Amino acid sequence: MKLFVFAIGGTGSRVLKSMIMLCAAGVRPVDANGRPLQDVEIVPVIIDPHKSNADLKRTERLLSAYSTMREKLYGKNANANGFFATKISSLKEVVSSSQVPLDDSFIFNLAAVENYKFRDFISYNTMNEPNQALTSLLFADYQLENKMSIGFVGSPNIGSVALNGVKDSNEFKAFANVFADGDRIFFISSIFGGTGAAGFPIIVKNIRQARNIDAKNKAFLQRAPIGGLTVLPYFSLMESEDKQDKRIDNADFVVKTQSALEYYNNTLTGNGRNAVNAIFYLGDHGHNAPYAYDPGDKRDQHDPAHLIELVGAMAPFKFMSMSDSELSDPATGQPLPTKAFEYGLEKDTDFVDFSSFGQETRQLVYRPLVKLHLLYIFLRTGLNGMIGQGFTEDAPKITREFTGTQFYRVLTQQFFDSYLEWLTELLHNRRHVTLFNEGEMEMAKAIHKVVTKKSLFGYKKVDNDVFKAEMNRLSRDNSSYGSNAELKLMDLFYTAAEKIITERYDNIN
Amino acid sequence: MIGAVISVLFGFFSEPVYEALYYSSGFSEAMHNNDAYGIVAIIAIAMTWGIAALYYYVINSVKFDRWYHWMSMLGVASVLTPVVCFIVVGNLLEGMDYPTASATFEIYNVIVSALLFTIASFSMRWWSSNCRHTPIPQ
Repeated sequence: MKLFVFAIGGTGSRVLKSMIMLCAAGVRPVDANGRPLQDVEIVPVIIDPHKSNADLKRTERLLSAYSTMREKLYGKNANANGFFATKISSLKEVVSSSQVPLDDSFIFNLAAVENYKFRDFISYNTMNEPNQALTSLLFADYQLENKMSIGFVGSPNIGSVALNGVKDSNEFKAFANVFADGDRIFFISSIFGGTGAAGFPIIVKNIRQARNIDAKNKAFLQRAPIGGLTVLPYFSLMESEDKQDKRIDNADFVVKTQSALEYYNNTLTGNGRNAVNAIFYLGDHGHNAPYAYDPGDKRDQHDPAHLIELVGAMAPFKFMSMSDSELSDPATGQPLPTKAFEYGLEKDTDFVDFSSFGQETRQLVYRPLVKLHLLYIFLRTGLNGMIGQGFTEDAPKITREFTGTQFYRVLTQQFFDSYLEWLTELLHNRRHVTLFNEGEMEMAKAIHKVVTKKSLFGYKKVDNDVFKAEMNRLSRDNSSYGSNAELKLMDLFYTAAEKIITERYDNIN
Repeated sequence: MIGAVISVLFGFFSEPVYEALYYSSGFSEAMHNNDAYGIVAIIAIAMTWGIAALYYYVINSVKFDRWYHWMSMLGVASVLTPVVCFIVVGNLLEGMDYPTASATFEIYNVIVSALLFTIASFSMRWWSSNCRHTPIPQ
């Protein structure tokens, strides 16, 4: 199953970033019996004309790093178990034909939009006077003057016009051609801004009206299972230094949300519409952190990670785990009435840790994230000192040269730098998400509010030596890695971590 | 397997081996007459293989898996084995006065013990989870 994830706008990129972290940790969608789904491939498509947006760039870099490492570990094989198990591919990678030229990137090419001011995009100057008057009623002056390379600055009325052309793009055509029976689509967008709020319904509309496009699989596309994460306000903006600049105003967030929800109800999710099979609503109005004011041209929109994004990143996994019969009528293939989901913490608190999540969330992410964090500590503090000993000497050997390979550098520098930044941002946001103790590099003390089990003389030890011993044992009994030292390292650690977490930590479940 | 065969062969042919290493007329004849070479060989084999087994399967620690840790065990085996042999030989040859010859013999036994410990190590290390690459990688 391919899951095409359309991440729209800044929120789309940020949620996608959290999703990559979960995939890196080995989180996978499971079926009703808790078994991981097979042949899952995620195809993220970032839709955001604001390409200089730092959140978008961070996510794109992370996606590239993930793909690089994942390919080194498992090749093209969609089925894997462990860190980076879920296959993530760009649209270009899944398009087999070269009929349409595509960038080898995870970002949807919006050149037709982003190079223009909105005024020029709609050819305002060539309109006759009555049309200009009507346009001026619908769009404020600052919206007409908006350079769309900075996005739609919280104006869904711009987005709804500008993004309507998406269906004519090469990317959309390629997507429509490659979409197959059994594949699914998921949208991630906010509802209180411009790009996401407008992009979600427009692209859904274009998918449901696929009969009008020239694509070989349009029948599948028309009845494709579609899920959506709609993020309600979860942050606010500080006032602009320029008091006259009200292009984005906190006060509008709720009103815009209400209007958009009403519109979604009428077009996507309401009775008889069923354009979306499942919709996930998330918001955090009471605990939103004020971010620096930035319509797109003030700073680089480098917003900190937030609990909502982490929770939102679980929605695509939930959607993939739903059976076909939960989403569509088995007889006709037509979508069933939209299933709506909300999310609540087990404990509503400003200081969130693993125990604040409900059982289903803990089951999905707790162990994988702990494993990933222990890997982070192990690679930063342990592996270098182990080279030349134990499991590193079994074939395929992990040598000093290994630590200079592209895989190792991307993993330990690019990826884990991003991971640490992500954790730190989650921690210092208004909702303090303290999954792990900041700066703690002792494995036994790293997980927030978790201690190791009691032993005869105090507490059970968890450190690099414990991992080394377990990996030595596993390596001795397993010689199935061929020449793939990367896979050996990651698989040994993952398997060792599973055992050590079970045997030595208290209550990680 | 080869190591075990070599050790067994050494047990059988310990007398010519030891005599080739060190021969002193009175002492060596007394050793021969009391079947002491065989006993010393069995002690040496048992102790070196035992210490190697202790290192690879009882200690078997990631904190003690470097070549210099193995060297320390080699040192222990190479010293302890001759000391025990010296005491046993002293008892076997009780009443005979060969202290200098006996001590010199044990110096050669240090070399034999070191060799036996090395043979034992390379024979049994394969299945050790933590020390199978000690003292040198397989």
